[in-house]
Amino acid sequence: MEKRIAFAALSALVAFGGVHPPAWAQGYKPARPVEVVVHTGPGGGSDVLARAVANMMEKEKLLPVRMQVVNKTGGGGAVAAAYLAEKKGDQNTIGFFTGVWLTNPLTSAEANVTLKDLTPVARLVLEPAVIAVKADAPYKSLPDFIAAAKKSPGQLKQSGGSVTSRDNVVRQLLQKNTGAQWAFISFPGGGERIAALLGGHVNIMVIEPAEAGEHIRAGNMRVLAQVTDKRLPAFPNVPTLKEAGFDVPSVPQVRGVVAPPAIPKENVAYWEGVFHKLTQTESWKKFLADNQFEDGYQGAAELVKFYDEFTDRMRGILKEAGAKVVR
Amino acid sequence: MDVLSGLMQGFAVALQPANLLWCFVGVVLGTVVGILPGLGPPATIAMLLPLTFLMNPAAAMIMLAGIYYGAKYGGSTTSILLNVPGESASVVTCLDGYAMARKGRAGAALGIAAIASFVAGTVGVVGLMLVAPPLAKMALAFSSPEYFALMALGLAMVVLLAGRSMLKALLAMLVGLWIAGIGTDPFSTTSRFTFGQLELLSGVDFVVVAIGVFAIGEVLAAMQGRAEAQALPAPKGLRNLLPTLQDLKDCRFAFANGSVIGFLIGVLPGAGSTIASFISYGVEKAVSRRPQEFGKGVPEGVAAPEGANNSETGGALVPLLTLGIPGSGTTAILLAALVLWGFKPGPLFISENQALFWGLVASMYIGNVMLLVLNLPLVPLFAQVLRTPAFVLYPLILGISIVGVYSVSGSLFDVSLLVAFGLLGYLMRMLDYPSAPLVLGLVLGGAMERALRQSLMMSQGDLSILATRPISAAMLSLALLILLIPLFNKLNAWRLQALEQ
Repeated sequence: MEKRIAFAALSALVAFGGVHPPAWAQGYKPARPVEVVVHTGPGGGSDVLARAVANMMEKEKLLPVRMQVVNKTGGGGAVAAAYLAEKKGDQNTIGFFTGVWLTNPLTSAEANVTLKDLTPVARLVLEPAVIAVKADAPYKSLPDFIAAAKKSPGQLKQSGGSVTSRDNVVRQLLQKNTGAQWAFISFPGGGERIAALLGGHVNIMVIEPAEAGEHIRAGNMRVLAQVTDKRLPAFPNVPTLKEAGFDVPSVPQVRGVVAPPAIPKENVAYWEGVFHKLTQTESWKKFLADNQFEDGYQGAAELVKFYDEFTDRMRGILKEAGAKVVR
Repeated sequence: MDVLSGLMQGFAVALQPANLLWCFVGVVLGTVVGILPGLGPPATIAMLLPLTFLMNPAAAMIMLAGIYYGAKYGGSTTSILLNVPGESASVVTCLDGYAMARKGRAGAALGIAAIASFVAGTVGVVGLMLVAPPLAKMALAFSSPEYFALMALGLAMVVLLAGRSMLKALLAMLVGLWIAGIGTDPFSTTSRFTFGQLELLSGVDFVVVAIGVFAIGEVLAAMQGRAEAQALPAPKGLRNLLPTLQDLKDCRFAFANGSVIGFLIGVLPGAGSTIASFISYGVEKAVSRRPQEFGKGVPEGVAAPEGANNSETGGALVPLLTLGIPGSGTTAILLAALVLWGFKPGPLFISENQALFWGLVASMYIGNVMLLVLNLPLVPLFAQVLRTPAFVLYPLILGISIVGVYSVSGSLFDVSLLVAFGLLGYLMRMLDYPSAPLVLGLVLGGAMERALRQSLMMSQGDLSILATRPISAAMLSLALLILLIPLFNKLNAWRLQALEQ
């Protein structure tokens, strides 16, 4: 976390201190509406973020043209990544990636375009998560749940996304750390995951704080721990994983911007500048607060380093989980 | 707050001139989107989102919901006239709707579809208004084993969709189930039947198969005949332009059946309007006094599925508004819209946003009336499409189909898939295989597989989880019973034969 703040501070320094001149002073400027490629359908996480960003860009007058969201769904991001790769050199296209774009190629042979084949632009947000149970569940704390899972190995259940999703990674890390075992049940839709928990069909889930917030307020859900490095403002009394006694790394969901391969350096600088400006606006800060996201801004250079770190960590986790790793 | 004062407050919101206007804009847009195959409500709503940031949330919600239920009205039009399903939920409408059009009763079919949509749409809103919170709680009792049983029940409907040969129907259904399996395995992320094709990773889109098998297959088969200059008989006389009193009488039960089944299935977040329309059609046929006439153009075969897919919208809004849980693509984007407008959808949403909720409910009553008034006069007009000579109409259908498919994914690969499935549809027609079971298998296959595997993960591989949970056990027994009907009939026929000898 401190490191991240240092990064943000550094990039702020770079942008404002004139280490390199503001990019928009140079040649490139989009002349046509910009196509923003996302890998989820309308209403999915990336889609909503892209539309919110498009709206803020307009409101804050950061772009001379409009942003058009294009949904290229399928293959856990593989279709969208391949589409961007095909647009090699195209100056009017960018894409919004998530961590799935890095993990999916690890297990899917067909997903042969990885983030490394595209041009990195910026990392935007880190989405923290919380671990929640139904309000009437007997577990008051995460150690309670772990103890119960140890008592009857494999009997307790967690609802979540795909096996490469953050939900499962958190489970794998906790299982490895404690020796407890519980089942992971994939539900493709976020709604189904919550419904399974509220209906009492599963015992626990990893959920985004904003989503959990309303169910907690209504008295349907209880949060046991937060998958963060330090406590979120909305959950001042809920321990982080480390504070709850589990020495596992917190795994944030990461979202950011990439461009097609082989675009000029000045374009990257331009986009880096635009998105950096965006992250300084009040609209953006309000958006982060509303959704309980963390500011995860990183410029292109740091983003590449982040790729490697993240991919290596995920490869290890997936191998341990018994998934077939192809890359 | 009690229902009456809530509704009064709602009408006060919905009857404001600006909101009336937005409601009208929504339902007109919805109708258009419904008529155009391919482009569906989620994509339309997503495109209009930037516009809604400038509107007040109540007006925006009224308009977006109007698109959602308006599309269900429009979806039947191309199904009936051209055998091109406008929306996935209108596939079943093709069966009897298109058959009615071939008999020169396109007007009556379109009219019945509009009336059924109105009745069921209104029932859906009544349900949303009266029983939303308790029903949403009940829907939570449904989990993977229950969804599996529901899908199995839907699949059992195949015996009611079969033509002359049960074997051929079952074969077609199995092909549909296989197509549903193409793509990335949702659990292990392994690719299945993708042959290294990136485009197949996300599976085969249902729209591609439905339009290919129904529309393209039909055009190819008709071109082979090439006897008549006109594709279909245009309706003659007032009797065939609008539904007759007799038609409406025949549909009495279908209106009720479609409304109730559609609403109840809509409330379940994991089901969807396509299965609602299939089940409602099956039920209608099962209880009908003239089941042998189904598929040959009976009005109740149009009324039941069209009703079901309209009341489903009212049902689908129940988990969205009472729990913040979206069940379908359209409700997911509505949820995103609510969040972007600054609301917090969840269990407390309705009680904290009374004006918005009741305004929406009231606007849906108004919108349904608007849609009926809008659609009925259009019926004779649409029916004139059939006056178009075949050499114009068939290329037009092909064009519409290709554009429709391309508009869903923007991928030419899907267009070639469309051609392949068109050829398959043609072959199936030539060899007398029914196409509805194939589509049924495809619609249910994915959800059914997921539900089964989730159930088995819950029970650690023990199949008895499906039989020990009461709701699931009841639905599975019902499915089994339906599957056995043809067997009983056959046995009965043999017995009678034996008695005679």
